[in-house]
Amino acid sequence: MASSSSTAAATATTTERRGIPGAQFVEDVEIYLNQSGLDVNSALSFLQERLQQYKVVEMKLLAQQRDLQAKIPDIEKCLDVIATLQAKKGTGEPLIADFEVSEGIYSQARIEDAESVCLWLGANVMLEYSCEEASDLLQKNLDNAKASLEVLVADLLFLRDQVTITQVTIARVYNWDVHQKRRMREAVTAEKDS
Amino acid sequence: MQQGGGSDKEVTWEDQQNINKFGRLNNRLHELEDEIKIAKETNDNLEDASNELILTDEEVVRFQIGEVFAHVPRDEVETRIEQMKEVTSKNMETLDEEKESVVAQMAKLKKILYGKFGDSINLEEN
Repeated sequence: MASSSSTAAATATTTERRGIPGAQFVEDVEIYLNQSGLDVNSALSFLQERLQQYKVVEMKLLAQQRDLQAKIPDIEKCLDVIATLQAKKGTGEPLIADFEVSEGIYSQARIEDAESVCLWLGANVMLEYSCEEASDLLQKNLDNAKASLEVLVADLLFLRDQVTITQVTIARVYNWDVHQKRRMREAVTAEKDS
Repeated sequence: MQQGGGSDKEVTWEDQQNINKFGRLNNRLHELEDEIKIAKETNDNLEDASNELILTDEEVVRFQIGEVFAHVPRDEVETRIEQMKEVTSKNMETLDEEKESVVAQMAKLKKILYGKFGDSINLEEN
């Protein structure tokens, strides 16, 4: 799977994907701080804020992914039913099925030669279709759902990469600061001793 | 996965990409473990179903299609369950193979990253 983040160039290239800003890879912490004109604390809080924003988007994408992952088996079940009805049509036998009338209560139905089915389209709307049309419509919905899921998964991969880059950058800026402070302390003690 | 404190090692773009890849593989590993669990449960259920089928002496079995239970002759149910079992076990094989590959890639990356960063990086499961 090709990485959808930065190009082949080794330097910091920020790309964005479908509204998600790319995280800038920092080659050198000192240069980064000088270029951005931020002191360590401001840089850290900027990066932390970015991380929070990424988390928010991640939650949203994960919720969408869960919805799609629930929708796909449902559509497949519907296609299964229609296929069964179509198979029965040729034989001349009715399809006898137990269906749920209310929770825990089942009744028997006799379905004879199903020419058409009704599809629930949502928003309290149900339309009648011939078996073939219904099958085509459901298949199209299934394909769309699967395609959307693929795009979503790619979005999440990109997002997680940006999160990782940001986390690493935060750690490096923090470490650089610790390092700086230690060096300055050593410089001060060296002066005092000399 | 966290980074330790006060290290001198520079992080190159290649290192960052390795870290990103490790993160992605780790996530995929968890997803695979969940999917394998579900596939195993489905497999067990199908086993139970086909065992019950052998024991029953009814000719017509209520087989779930969509949201309803259709009255299906026993032979057809047997065939259907066999088909479903094949699909599930092929699925499980694919998942197991992918899991092996992911684990191997993660081990390789761990070597590389621990090699360069040593204690400054933590790649273990919290």
